[in-house]
Amino acid sequence: MGLKLAFKEIEDIEEKDGGALDLLKRRLLGVAAVVLFFFAVIILRLWMLQITNGSEYETRAYSNRVRIRDIAAPRGHLLDRQGREIVTNRPSFNVVLIQEDSNDVGDVLKRLAPVLKMDISELWEKIRDASGTPRYLPVRLKEDIDWQTLAYLESHNHEFSGIRTEVQPVRVYHYDDLAANVIGYLGAISKKEMAEADSEIYSGQEIIGKRGIERLREADLRGEKGQNFTEVDAKGFEQTQLKAVEPLPGREIRLTLDNDLQQIAESYMAAGDKSGAVVVMEVNTGRLLVAASAPSIHIEEFIGGISKNAWQALLDNSRHPLLNKVVQATYPPGSTYKMVTALAGLSKGVIDENTTFFCPGQISFGNRTYRCWKKGGHGTVNLQRAIGESCDVFFYQVGMRVGVDTLAEYAQKLGLGKKTGAEMEFEKEGLTPTRKWKQKYRKAKWQDGETLSVAIGQGFNIVTPLQMCVMTSAIANGGKAYRPKIVEQVTDPEGKVIENFTPELLSEVPGVEKFLKIIRSGMEDVVQGKRGTARNVAIEGLRIGGKTGTAQVVRLAQYKGLKDENIPYEYRDHAWFTCYAPAENPEIAVTVMVEHGLHGGSGAGPIARAVLAHYFTNKMDPGKVDKAVPVVPEQPEEGGE
Amino acid sequence: MIRIDRRLFEHFDMILFLLIFLVCAMAFFNLYSASFPPKGPGMPPYMRQGYFFLISFTAFVFIISFDYQELHFWNYPFYGLITILLVLAFIFGHSAGGAQRWINLGFFKLQPSEPAKLMLVITLASYYSRKEIVEGYTLKDLVVPIILTAIPFGLILLQPDLGTAMMLAVIFVSMTLFVKLRVSTFLTLGGVAMGLIGVAWVKVLKPYQKQRIQTFLNPEGDPMGNGYQILQSKIAVGSGGRFGKGYMEGTQGHLHFLPERHTDFAFSVWGEEWGFFGSAIFISLYFLLLIWGLVVALHARDRFGVLLAFGVVSLIFWQAAINLLMVMGLLPVVGIPLPLFSYGGSSLLTTMLGLGILMNVRMRRFHSSMARD
Repeated sequence: MGLKLAFKEIEDIEEKDGGALDLLKRRLLGVAAVVLFFFAVIILRLWMLQITNGSEYETRAYSNRVRIRDIAAPRGHLLDRQGREIVTNRPSFNVVLIQEDSNDVGDVLKRLAPVLKMDISELWEKIRDASGTPRYLPVRLKEDIDWQTLAYLESHNHEFSGIRTEVQPVRVYHYDDLAANVIGYLGAISKKEMAEADSEIYSGQEIIGKRGIERLREADLRGEKGQNFTEVDAKGFEQTQLKAVEPLPGREIRLTLDNDLQQIAESYMAAGDKSGAVVVMEVNTGRLLVAASAPSIHIEEFIGGISKNAWQALLDNSRHPLLNKVVQATYPPGSTYKMVTALAGLSKGVIDENTTFFCPGQISFGNRTYRCWKKGGHGTVNLQRAIGESCDVFFYQVGMRVGVDTLAEYAQKLGLGKKTGAEMEFEKEGLTPTRKWKQKYRKAKWQDGETLSVAIGQGFNIVTPLQMCVMTSAIANGGKAYRPKIVEQVTDPEGKVIENFTPELLSEVPGVEKFLKIIRSGMEDVVQGKRGTARNVAIEGLRIGGKTGTAQVVRLAQYKGLKDENIPYEYRDHAWFTCYAPAENPEIAVTVMVEHGLHGGSGAGPIARAVLAHYFTNKMDPGKVDKAVPVVPEQPEEGGE
Repeated sequence: MIRIDRRLFEHFDMILFLLIFLVCAMAFFNLYSASFPPKGPGMPPYMRQGYFFLISFTAFVFIISFDYQELHFWNYPFYGLITILLVLAFIFGHSAGGAQRWINLGFFKLQPSEPAKLMLVITLASYYSRKEIVEGYTLKDLVVPIILTAIPFGLILLQPDLGTAMMLAVIFVSMTLFVKLRVSTFLTLGGVAMGLIGVAWVKVLKPYQKQRIQTFLNPEGDPMGNGYQILQSKIAVGSGGRFGKGYMEGTQGHLHFLPERHTDFAFSVWGEEWGFFGSAIFISLYFLLLIWGLVVALHARDRFGVLLAFGVVSLIFWQAAINLLMVMGLLPVVGIPLPLFSYGGSSLLTTMLGLGILMNVRMRRFHSSMARD
């Protein structure tokens, strides 16, 4: 009402030819326009902030006042086949800095350094390393602090603005380095891994599996992190707890490994300062009871991140401790390949159990002479004896008759030359050479003489210890190559079984049991025969079928004829021993590869023997098994091939 | 000297008074929330402001009791007193934020730059009403007002309090433009002002002041540093949404994300808790008060009355506009309170005295015979 009157009055002024006062008052209309203009601008701005962008600012106000802190989920435990804990967790306390909440980082760090017994420059370095990450995310200053430090920081937390302690479960290794190369280790998620990871799950601060089962089963083991919602004021002091979502622990994985057997295998390898691998597999299922690689990594070095020097030392080590030699190293199979040649010969009808060849110690083929390892020759041998005494000439003859492609075909059917698909990383394929392969990759025609080398497991042939064990199992079980598996069972925190072991067939050679029977009788002679090459493996009360093998390392002329101990380590031959037991009804296959171990029987045999003895001590009538095999290894004895 | 006329009560403007009362009531309620949770010992800000309301209301009653024509005379001692206080503040002043602004009177810390704004309004109104030039003022006519403005302006700038000094300049420009300048004078003065601003940027502005202006231009660039205040204020107001978070429920304010939440950023607290509707109601009332002030000017019985009413309105209007645009992120952070709404005794007292003058002009609009005896 008043306003209306007022404007009417201004109009009146304009109509009258008023005095100076009226002229002045007339300008009030313009003034009112200016005031109303600003009113409109302010209301419009208010609309923009509160209506148009209201929800966005609401979110920002929420994230201002609500701090969401992740609660790390305890990682799933790893057990052996009997449920014994190999890897579990314990809580560790880390000191972190939340930069956003600190009013004076420099001052806080200066006072914190002596408490943590660290140098201030180290602390600054950690903060520099974290540059680029949001300021509300914690920067880890020190991990796994002791109880006194924790108690001090908790009781003085108001003196250190922005400093918090966070609980993080860390791994506990109950058997030290047991199966370390298979189980693997953890480490802080890298920027590269973060780029590939699901940002819903990983925030960039996590510790994740870097190698082995820890990496391959990350999804099972990690669990789901929990979240703590607290209301904070502008200085970052927590006011009230709003809600908390408890973390969901990771799934428990029961492995097929047997701690006792694994320990025996590893300690025998370690005691002889041996490099190589030991694999024990159930012949009728593919369960891996032992998967040992020597030398092993030391898992303690990896907790909290391995130092650069330690890592470089591992890389430089000529024994390659970082390799899981069960699948990541390949060797010529040597004489262990003779079973493949035998099966090919029997299946193709080239030989039967009565076929004999005369071994004079060597044969000539083309313009070359191919020697048997026994200079004087084996005389007239049939297949059983040829395997038992590992006669090379016999298998030259068989190989020559079946040809390299047939050898490769049977090798593949028994599990060689292709990945087994066991849950181990960077598995090597190995190689079962064929004519086609040589033409394609070596750009050369196959020489028939090369077939002879292949027939006794030399030449282009290479296999992994795991493939060798699969092959041995297949020979023992009637021709079935099972996929080696290491996970027995996965259970979630409520105890629900997520995954159970089931045998899986890789390939099968059907209708060869009658041939394998002949081959196995030869393998039994290897251990139990009078002239067997691994008589030292024999255990009273247990029939074992096995085969020794020597994988030639580059033989330089200058080392020929030298006594074993005079050959430099790196030029000594690799030693294989692969076997199964009990011969009557095979249960397990044991494969031992000792790098530069010289002879299969002496170099690799004792380790297999110790494993078998322990396994069957528990399985069979105790009285029948030779208890003399010590769990703690002794120096290997001499044996001959 | 004071003759109480019954007609005075008849002409007491209930609308003006009601508008003032409503804005003050909102301010008080808002301050209660803005000063929660209480910080440290002593009287919480809303209580202190409550006492300031009473003091200011007394001053309001005092100033309507005599005819505003008396201000032609009282203007001189008032001007002298304020100038002395400004000098004292500069010499003995209580330092805050790098500036010497307050004189400690024991029970009350007086900020003389606040009443200086009102003093300038009265002084210029008095001068321009006595020296009336219909065809527009020339540069020569402006020498006296420029000097009268320059003295307090310089003293305040020296404190240094750029925001308040700027307010004096704005009041001078508003009132001078309102009484009409010659075009040539306008152009000359405009040119000189531009030059002075240029010089000021290079020579006079402190680094923190430049920083504030630069931060304003890109507040998101440094959200934890100088852009923090603007950003947090925008978040507070914006997160209020349509209907607000509810009285005493503002998280930005109560968890201290808002800086200066009971002084310069008091409106952010209101915006957060009452939302768009509550804010629109408050701003509408506030601008209605200003428009009503212009109505008072329109009905004033003489040139002095018009100029006084206009001056008081422009004094409140510019501060309110700058403060509101600042808290909503449209202007850089300058220490300008929202009159009546922000905590601060000096500002409240000055504003209520100004509104008292407005009421005075309103009540005496028909009393042409009651000019000075």
